[in-house]
Amino acid sequence: MPATSEIPSVDGMEATIEVTGLRKRFGSTLALDGMSFIVKPGQVTGFVGPNGAGKSTTMRAILGLDAPDQGSALISGQPYPKLRRPLSHIGAMLDAAALQPGRTARNHLLWLAHSQGLSGRRVDEVIERAGLTSAARRKAGGFSLGMRQRLGIAAAMLGDPPVLMFDEPFNGMDPEGIIWMRGYLRSLAADGRAVLVSSHLMSELEDAADHLVVAGRGKVIADTSVAELIAAASGDRVTLRTGSRSEVMTVLAHAGATVAATGRDTLAVSGLTAEQVVARLGESGVGFSEISAHRATLEEAYMELTRDAVEFRAEPAEEEVR
Amino acid sequence: MTQTMTHGRNQTMTIARHGLPRPAGTAWAGTAWAGHAWTGLSDALRAEWTKLRTVPGTAWILTAICVLTVAVGAATAAATRCGAGTRCTIDPTKVSLTGIEVGQAVVAVLAVLMISGEYSTGMIAATFTAMPRRWMVLAAKAAVLTGLVLVVAVVAVAGSLAAGRLILTGNGLTAAHGFAVVSLHGPTVRAAVGSVLYLELVGLLSLGIATIVRDSAAATGAVLGILYVPPVIALFLGSEPAWQHWVERYTPTNAGLAILNTTGLRDLVISPWAGLGVLAAWAAAALLAAGVLLRLRDA
Repeated sequence: MPATSEIPSVDGMEATIEVTGLRKRFGSTLALDGMSFIVKPGQVTGFVGPNGAGKSTTMRAILGLDAPDQGSALISGQPYPKLRRPLSHIGAMLDAAALQPGRTARNHLLWLAHSQGLSGRRVDEVIERAGLTSAARRKAGGFSLGMRQRLGIAAAMLGDPPVLMFDEPFNGMDPEGIIWMRGYLRSLAADGRAVLVSSHLMSELEDAADHLVVAGRGKVIADTSVAELIAAASGDRVTLRTGSRSEVMTVLAHAGATVAATGRDTLAVSGLTAEQVVARLGESGVGFSEISAHRATLEEAYMELTRDAVEFRAEPAEEEVR
Repeated sequence: MTQTMTHGRNQTMTIARHGLPRPAGTAWAGTAWAGHAWTGLSDALRAEWTKLRTVPGTAWILTAICVLTVAVGAATAAATRCGAGTRCTIDPTKVSLTGIEVGQAVVAVLAVLMISGEYSTGMIAATFTAMPRRWMVLAAKAAVLTGLVLVVAVVAVAGSLAAGRLILTGNGLTAAHGFAVVSLHGPTVRAAVGSVLYLELVGLLSLGIATIVRDSAAATGAVLGILYVPPVIALFLGSEPAWQHWVERYTPTNAGLAILNTTGLRDLVISPWAGLGVLAAWAAAALLAAGVLLRLRDA
């Protein structure tokens, strides 16, 4: 097996996923409505969006499981059905529970390995790396969801692929598992692999994703780096604490800012940076006791983006409850 | 809010194509070779064989095919007697092979589980992700099923004939009394080989139907219905001879089981090999439809 640091390409092509204009209708539901994005090597791309945004359908289309009505999905430049021994081009974990419960974990990996011309030795390697050695000869039906996720990861890594795709890998993991998963995803990207990870909870992707593709109603709402997204959502809102509220409001309004009182002695200012606010107040000799530039959390930035795209804002589904 | 919208295709151009050379002698070397369908098929065969041998229940099902077939044949033979003096038209080979009509149900179940089991657990997604050429998966499943059923059917048929010969001879149905004793003569060999082929074809027909229907319960129902309902319908069509004739000639079980006969061939509505041919046509049609649907439908 190659050392993982030698991974980034297949046949001289850079390892990527390119999704272009995917459209897919299931009966009356438009599941994908022109979904387009690129997953680049060497970074973790988070694929976020509310339930029903089309994340899983997109992943199934990438794997050739669902045929799109329009558009294309390419793995390192090739459509999935053209890949020979596809698991050495792309590894995927879609539904970790989707396996024959009576088969042992090792045997599940063994048939997958045989389908790719790989041997049982490779199976034992991925079992060990996924931390499943002690459970390898137990029936997968008795596994907890977290252990099935690990089995799914082992299956995805069988062919040592340069492109990886995980659908909701954090589901069913305990906090310790989530931290492990984040580190694991980062290490895959550090190898130079292209990694796509879906989640409906932005918080799970914090400290894991470098880049974000935010989906809603079957298309991409935002395709941006994590840093840019937070900066954009933070805007230039400034919070101010002052004893002379009305004077401050007058001065800043004259300077073109929008000012709103948010408390007895606090104000929210937008339209001016913190530096500009300080300068104006200094010129006018109006005092204030505290000033802070607002910085959005990733969660806030995401909520702002998807507010209009949430299709089912109902009770959280069972899988979201921890 | 500023946001970088999707770049689409234009972005592709800007990505540097500086792929590193692949290390030699790694598992990756396999990706350079392209389009060797035979390698793909042999991988698929190996995978499907591994699946079948590692799923619990396969051994039980195979045992059940043998035991049920032989036991029902032996029981029928034991219950078969000819009253003294009456003209007796019993076909000893056919009696001995009665168990085929029961064993076929278990063969059908085996075939259904091979594909519907994957649809019911969702594992089919892993199968088609590993082997995107779906017809190849179907072909591999058919081949593995055929190989396994061959072994089991040979044992079941040989056991049935041996048991039948022993029991029927004991019941006085001997050559001395004018019976075509179960032996290695032409018609019996035809019935024996034909029975093995019959079970193979029932397996393939079931695999095809299960691939079309997908759901385990529905597929089992559909397969058993196709195998067992037409013979019942034929019994009740006595007042409609034309329809009865059609059902007996062109439904899988009625036509296919003609292969069991070694005597009174002139009274059959369809000749043994032609009957097996009808069953083969059903199996081929089912597999063809299954292959087309696998290609057209989402997994």
